[in-house]
Order: sequence, then structure tokens, then C-alpha cells
Amino acid sequence: MSKLKTQEFMVNMGPHHPSTHGVCRLMLTLDGEKVVKIVPVIGYLHRAIEKICENRTYAQCIPLLDRFEYVTSMSCEYVFADAVEKLAAIEVPERAQYLRVIMLELNRIASHLIFFGTTVMDIGALTPFLYGLRERELIMDLFEMTCGQRLTYNYITIGGVSHDIPPEFIPKCREAVKIIREKLKDYEGLFNENPIWLARTKNIGVLSAETAVAYGVSGPILRASGIKYDIRKNEPYGIYDRFDFNIPTYTHGDAYDRYMVRLDEIRESLKIITQALDGLPEGDIRKKVNPFTFKPPAGEIYNRIENSRGEMGVYLVSDGTTKPTRLKLRGGSYNHLQVLPHVAVGGLVADLVAIFATFDIIMPEVDR
Amino acid sequence: MILASVELIGVFRWLYGLLVELGLEEPWLSVVIYGLLSVTIFGVLCLIALFLVWWERKIAGHMQQRFGPMRNGWHGWYQTVMDALKLLQKEDIRVDTRDRAVFFWAPVICFVAAFLAYIVIPFGDGLIVADLNIGILYVIAITTFTVISLLMAGWGSNNKYALLGGMRSAAQVVSYEVPMVASILTVIVFSGSLSMVDISNSQQGNFIFNWFIFRPPFGIIAFLTYITAATAEANRTPFDIPEAEQELVAGYNIEYSGMKFAMFFLAEFVNMFTVSAIATTLFLGGWHGPLLPSWLWFIIKTLAIVLLLMIFRWTFPRLRVDQLMEFAWKFLVPLTFANLILAGWMKYAGWYW
Amino acid sequence: MVEAGVGIIFWILTFVIIVSALLVVTLKNIFHSALFLILCLFAVAGIFILLHAEFLAAAQVLIYVGAVSILIIFAIMLTSNMASKKIIQTNQNALVAFFACLMFLVVTLVLINKTGVWNYSTRNLPAENILTIGKLLMTDFMLPFEVVSVLMLAAMIGAIVLAREDKA
Repeated sequence: MSKLKTQEFMVNMGPHHPSTHGVCRLMLTLDGEKVVKIVPVIGYLHRAIEKICENRTYAQCIPLLDRFEYVTSMSCEYVFADAVEKLAAIEVPERAQYLRVIMLELNRIASHLIFFGTTVMDIGALTPFLYGLRERELIMDLFEMTCGQRLTYNYITIGGVSHDIPPEFIPKCREAVKIIREKLKDYEGLFNENPIWLARTKNIGVLSAETAVAYGVSGPILRASGIKYDIRKNEPYGIYDRFDFNIPTYTHGDAYDRYMVRLDEIRESLKIITQALDGLPEGDIRKKVNPFTFKPPAGEIYNRIENSRGEMGVYLVSDGTTKPTRLKLRGGSYNHLQVLPHVAVGGLVADLVAIFATFDIIMPEVDR
Repeated sequence: MILASVELIGVFRWLYGLLVELGLEEPWLSVVIYGLLSVTIFGVLCLIALFLVWWERKIAGHMQQRFGPMRNGWHGWYQTVMDALKLLQKEDIRVDTRDRAVFFWAPVICFVAAFLAYIVIPFGDGLIVADLNIGILYVIAITTFTVISLLMAGWGSNNKYALLGGMRSAAQVVSYEVPMVASILTVIVFSGSLSMVDISNSQQGNFIFNWFIFRPPFGIIAFLTYITAATAEANRTPFDIPEAEQELVAGYNIEYSGMKFAMFFLAEFVNMFTVSAIATTLFLGGWHGPLLPSWLWFIIKTLAIVLLLMIFRWTFPRLRVDQLMEFAWKFLVPLTFANLILAGWMKYAGWYW
Repeated sequence: MVEAGVGIIFWILTFVIIVSALLVVTLKNIFHSALFLILCLFAVAGIFILLHAEFLAAAQVLIYVGAVSILIIFAIMLTSNMASKKIIQTNQNALVAFFACLMFLVVTLVLINKTGVWNYSTRNLPAENILTIGKLLMTDFMLPFEVVSVLMLAAMIGAIVLAREDKA
């Protein structure tokens, strides 16, 4: 029997499309509703951060790097500050180390809450988006209370952190941890057993462990595919080796697992925050570094941390002047966008949306 | 006469007398009376649609930890009136590559089809334009024009997203019509009539326990399947595939703006009220109920169903397009047909009162 | 007066049917043809209402407008390039079609001529004509009804077999 053929047609998904989370453009070839080919087009958000950094002093780089991955600005600051500190062998005070961990984990939770909200919104449930943002608001309040900013903090500086926490921070933070832990149960009650949710995410966009490794996939997506790899555990940086937490891992690598990994990670982050708050020592928050004349010794370093979207790395070359010679940033989303066609071809457009959402790609990290 | 019978109430009875006194004869008498009736129904429904838009926004707001419209009047009660006025004044943006006639007629047909169903819907005791003896069948038939208008909008816009939205809606509505009609037929088996008034009347009395929804198990199954199919017919979450924002941006109405968009938008809410009103008539005893006046009962019941649909919309994620079809054909259709056959058999065996 | 009104409506409907039927076969854009087909079928439903056959009218709208036409439009939208302006949409065999229509007209006219006197039924329409239709379908016309059902089932299975993706 001859095969019935329908017309294939091209659709541009993006750059202005509600579910591409920014300005990603996907050139889709569709056979009816089936995705035949995906060509991601990137560069709409290119701001030449790496190049501009070469013309700035090290301290000036940090506010710019906030814009690298603006959903978790703390990580961008940390990965750069940590690299410079390693290069210049600066000892960071204990209290600053703890504050950094608290902020990083709070930011990770905030990022995962946004992930939760946008993912369920992309799959059609509009209300939980605002629930996710409601809980994120608690964290934003904590950040605002500490450093006066809600999105681009400029908090983690070379040698420590810019501000000490106000006295009401600790009770507020404990309360926020409690609330988020409670509300997580609500989210799970809404979706984990919801048949529509299961139908939309189970066995959708399966990413095998081999493919994931081959494409350099990292972070929650890698762990959803069954590989227990978390830089916080595997190559502990900062003081992460002092905390007791698990690495949630799932096996199927489908959209549902990617969603579950992130919800579980929120729990683990809450654990870390509680421990960090308990162990928070008194003392200095910063080793004094003159932002104008600071010169790390010549040399190069690659530093990487576990971000909410995977491995975030910075490759830094210093020639001993006040400005970096070369700065290269690595964001997890770049690799995830590359593996997207591999996973989503053959599915439906609706699946593509679900996969894109659970990959949690944000474009500033891809385009830099 | 073409239309079977007219139940005129209050003002219209008085008007009828006045016109007869003035010496007006048939058919002009009917023309005038029906014309006025149409205008009244149209006005009331426009108000209901505007109210529903406001109500939906308030419910969505309160479900989402916010207030919804608050600025215009008490809790923003005339917000949607203002929105409609704004849309009226807006520039009507038309794509150059559109299919002119099709693009123009699509919202018109959608709007008109949404209102035509109300000819046979009894708002209360005697509050009906025409009690056709094909009642419910007429509603089912006339609402299919909505699909055609969506297809026309998809085609006429000459936009791929719009076309996809139109095709999806066509497939969806045609599929869900089958279980919907099958669950409606269960009620017809109970009542033995297609007339909306007869169906309502056969649920009269015995406090509220004569309502067809209280005829387990067939009544309740038919009700649930009807509500599911009706949600799909009204293109609402979890079955809002035709306008899936995250996939199709906005679906069939993406190229429409100004009043044409408003027509689609209002028609959508009128359709939602229609399916709820039918559910009320078929399963919840229509206007019958203790104590309160009949029209109030009808409005309360219908709004309760509307509320249910709204809560659905703001709670559930969306099904995928093939899962939607599977759900219709592999689950709802067999279920409703089995339900229908068993109900018919029970009726034949005389086990139902 | 009422009769006159019905007469006017009848002529309007007839006009709509004929014009839209002509447009169906002559229009260049096949999508427009489908839309005029819908209009034509809808006007036929109007004629049924004039004949007090409300059930038939509703069934006409439900089946032809609601299902068949939508499937036709669906096919048009899905089939590659069917509606593009480069393709000639109209029938290429106009001459053959003309003769076929002419023959049909001749046969019809001959038959009408043969009938001579037309019999008008003097029986009143039953008030509940749906009930009557239902009873007749389940008793006198049981066999044709079932045969049609089987035919449709066969058509449906055929469509599924044609459209099914080859798993191998």
C-alpha cells in the first residue's frame, strides 16, 4: 500500500513565542503535528559579555556577570569570584563562606520554583505559575533585605560578600524554608499523580544516559537520565563538603523525571540552608580587596560549580593586570539546546513544548 | 406557523395585547414580537457574556493569589464593559494576505451561531422563545457552526498557527460531538422527548430528586461524560488545544484584533454559558426547584456549572492533541454508548419510574 | 398572509441553493467551494423546515454541515497544495459534465411528464414526527437501516486501514 503523504510545512517557533522562555527561535519542520526537524537559531540575546569583561576590572566584571544567567545570578557571581580567589589564593572568611552557600541554595530554589511555574504553565496549567512565583517572592525578599537587589545582586564579591545579613534575616529565612517545604507538598499533590500531567510528561522526550553524556548534558537533566553526578558532591567547592545532602537521581530521563529531580532538589537545598543557618559562625564577611588595584597573578584557571541548570564554568586567563585577558563562560543551557533536536524530533509540537520546558533552557546563558 | 408555540410572559404579553389593539395582524405581529424577543435575548446574553468574562477573571485572580480587576467600580464590576468599549474603538488590523471574505465572515458566523442556540433554551417557567419539538437536537446542530467559523478564521488569516488551531479545533469538536450526543441521548431516553420544556418538566417534583443526575448510575455517568465533552466543545482547559497558547501562540484568532477579536472572545463565553445551560436543563432539572422563582433556579444552576468549568480551567494542565482524541474515541465513546444502551434497556424493562 | 410569507422564504431559499450550488462547481478556490457547499446544504435544511420536517432539518445540519463539510474542509487543509492558486481547481471535463447534466435533466423532465396528475397526501403530519420516524426505522425499515449502518462501518474500517501507519 502506498504511503499517504501530507504536506510538510515550516513553522518558526520564536523568537517571540510564549513557550521559548525568551528569544530562542526554533525552525520547525512539521508533518501535520509531528516534528520532523528542529533547527535552533541562537544569538538574539548576545551581549558580548565575555568581550566586555576584558575591558573591565575584576570587581567591575561581577555586576555584568549577573546578567549572564539572570535567574541564578548568585551562581554567576560565585563561579567568577571563586575562580579569581583560587587564582590569587585569597582566603575567604568562614562567615562569608556560609553566607555564600545560603545565598546559592536560596537562588537555586528560586530558579527551580520558576522552573516549576513555567513548566506547568507550558503544559497548560496557568495557576501554579503564580504559586511558584509566590514562594519565590519569599526568597526575593530575603535577597532584597540583604543586598537591596531582587534579580542582579552583585552580592558575592572577590574575597567575600558585599553585605552582612540583617538580624531579622535568620528567622525570616527559617520561616521561608518552612513555608516552601509545606507548599512543595501542595505542588506534588497537584501534579505528581495527576493523570493529565502523567500523560503529558511520562515517557516524553526520553534522553538516554549515553546521549546525555555524549552531548555534555549536566545538572538535573543528567541526573534525571540516571547518572549520579553533581559537582557539589563529586568535586566539592567552597564548603559544600561540610553539609549532608542527597543527590536525587531518576532513571527514565523523561520529562516527568526531569520535573521530579528539580522538586527533590528543592528539598535538598532546603536541608543545606537549614544546616548552613545552624552552623553560621560570627566573624568577618569579607577579606579586604581593593577593587581598583586588585591584580591576581598571571595564570589561567577553569572553575566550575553546580548551577540549577547544570555545570556553570568560567575559564579565566590573567596576565597580572587589573583586567582579565580572556574570560570564557560555560552555561549548561548551551549543551541542552543542542541535545533538544535529538530528543524532540519525532514527537508532537506539544511534546516539544514540554521538553523545552523541562530542559529549563534560558537564553542569556546560551547567547551570553 | 413555522415555530411551534410561543410562551410569552409579562411585558411581552402586554405588548402583544397592545399590538393587537393597534390592529396589527399576522404575520407582522409575529415578526414584531419575535424581533423584540431576539433583541432582548441578545442583550441579556451580551450582559451575561460580559459578566462571565469578569467572573472568570475574578475567579482566576483569587485562585492565583491576586485580586483580578479592581479598578472600575466595586471589585471592578464594569471592567469588561470598558474592555468591550475599548475593543470597539480599536483599529481593525487586517493582514494583507488574508482571504478577504472568509476573514470577515468568520467572527460573524461564530458570534451568530453562539446566540442561535438560545431560541430553545428555557430560562424559566415559560421563559422560552420557541419550544421546538426537536429542541435539544436543534442546539446540537446549530452549535456546529462554531467549528466552521473557527476553520474559516484559521484559513482566512493565512497564518500557519491559525491554520493549525483551526484544524485542531475541527478535529476536536467533531470527535467530542459523538460522546456529547450519546450522553444527551441518555437523557432523551429518560424523558422520551427532545423538547427542552418537556425534558425540564419530566424532572419536576419530589424536591430535587427527580433530576436526571440523581438516577444512578446512568444519569450521573451521562452527566459526567457530558461535562467532559462540553468542556472540550467549549474549547476550555484541559481541552483547549485549539488555542493552546504555549504551542500555537493563540490559535485560530491570532490575526484578529479589535471588535472581530471581541466577537470571538464573547462568543466563547456565550458558548460556555450554552453548554452549562444545556447541562442544567438536561441533568439538573432545568428551572424546577423548591422555593425560589424558576428563572433564579435556572441561573443559579447554570452559573454553578460555569463555576465548575472555570475551576477546571485554572487547575488542570492541558492534554496533548493525540491524547485528546484517544480519550474521546477510546474512552468516552464506548462509555457513553454502553451507558446509553444500558439506560435504554432499563427503561424498556420498566425499571425506571 | 402566512402562506405568502412561506412562499417568499421558499423562493429565497431556492435562490440561495441554486446560486451556491453553482458557485461550488465554478469557484476557483476550493476552500470557498466547500464553504458554499455548506451554505447550500444549510439552505436545504431550511426547505425541510418549510415542509414541517424539523427533525430532518436538524439531522441535515448536524450531519452534513456539522460533520461531512468539516471533514471536507479538513481534507482540503491537509492535502498538499490543493488550494494554491497555481493549480486549476475547476473540472477539466466541462463538456462531459454538461452532457451528463443535460441527460439527467432530460430524464427528470420525461419522468415528470409521465406522472401526469400529482397526488397530494391529505393526511396530516403526525405531531410527534420524531417518534414516528424512530418507530418506522426500528420496524418497517429495519433492514435498510442496518444495511446502511454496516456500509458505514465498512467505510470507517476502510478509512482506518488506509490512514494507518505501517508499523513494519
